Amino acid sequence: MEEGVAKINDDECVECGVCFRSGVCPVDCFTESELSWPRILRAVLSNPLTESPDTRVPGRGTEEVKTNEVSGRIKPGFVGLAIELGRPGIGTRFHDVQKVTQAMAEVGAEFEAENPVTFWMTDKKTGKLREDVLNEKSLSAIVECAFPIDKLKPAIEKLREVSKEINTVCSVVSAVKVARDGSIPTDKILKELGITPAPNSKNNVGLGRPLFKFEEVS
Amino acid sequence: MTHSLHRQGTKENLSRDYPLVAVAAHGFNDKGAGPKLGKFLEICWRHGPVNLGDMKQGSVFTYDAEKIYKNVSDTTIVECVFDDLSKVEAVLRDLREADIGMPVVVSGLTDSVGECCKKVGLEIHTVAQSLGVWGDTSRLPRKEVLEITTMCGHAMVSANLVEKMIDDIKKGKISAKKAAEKLTKPCECGIFNPTRAAELLAAAAK
Repeated sequence: MEEGVAKINDDECVECGVCFRSGVCPVDCFTESELSWPRILRAVLSNPLTESPDTRVPGRGTEEVKTNEVSGRIKPGFVGLAIELGRPGIGTRFHDVQKVTQAMAEVGAEFEAENPVTFWMTDKKTGKLREDVLNEKSLSAIVECAFPIDKLKPAIEKLREVSKEINTVCSVVSAVKVARDGSIPTDKILKELGITPAPNSKNNVGLGRPLFKFEEVS
Repeated sequence: MTHSLHRQGTKENLSRDYPLVAVAAHGFNDKGAGPKLGKFLEICWRHGPVNLGDMKQGSVFTYDAEKIYKNVSDTTIVECVFDDLSKVEAVLRDLREADIGMPVVVSGLTDSVGECCKKVGLEIHTVAQSLGVWGDTSRLPRKEVLEITTMCGHAMVSANLVEKMIDDIKKGKISAKKAAEKLTKPCECGIFNPTRAAELLAAAAK
């Protein structure tokens, strides 16, 4: 509040559009500005109604496990990690996102090509992001990468280290193709790491067609 | 993204919270996907979800369900939420029979979703597990608030608004049901569960 007038702090605003859409202003003073680069990335990652020009999907992420039976994105023997900085509800600067991309690159991450954060990397080998995005802020940003399952342990240990250095939170997902016997191939490793996944999960139930032809797993 | 995952709560209150999401696979089966995703929504709507929506159009808390499912585009994500596992089972049975070929994910208690799939002859293909919230967790709101805000994975439901609703319920200014409806509206895509929110708000206001 400044002299009795509520003002939006442009540096902190993530362009999510909630105030505009909610219609809460009694004198209808909210407007949406046309955004240019790099500020536009705030809207792409924070406003779920904004379609990413790169992924063509609304929202800040990708199809990840949602279409895996068709796309074959996460193959047997591999694990996908989705590290969503700023979630739940805190927000993130991109210099914190870069800390995580660089840490994951150090342990051999293969970054998801269709993810907006990957588009803004200048070097996928080091996880370095464009200089002009580093001080931008979004409601969240997903670092999406894959590892061979035997690299999950060092990846999680590295993530544990770097998560102590960020000025925000991150929600972490491990995604894997379920084995033919119904078991989850990462269960043992997560247990060894002292991690108990949440009791609720997201499950692709295999209804998509045509089915991707995965190599058989034992 | 993972907007149907990371919902916080107890096993007891999560047992009334099952989001379903459908999306076409870009470059594989997205051409002409719109009507098929619409069919997914139509089937879901028949079984009485507590919320339903389309990322590009909005939710039933803003628009008519029929208008939504008849106007779905190829490159969107559609979703709905059930508060009753038996309804999820009925939806999956119908989806299997309709064979629309669109990928579908079901979120919720892992064991319950697994049993539900087994009953209708489906197998879990790929699973995404939440490993929790890391980093500076001292910045998070209290647990009772997070159980509500995390039902909107895009974080459109503000923690401060939840606190205000709890306060207003305590003061008798609004019912838990009406407060939950207010919180549901900012969630544009329709994945927020208003019946669970009303339960949680009522409990937090005690």
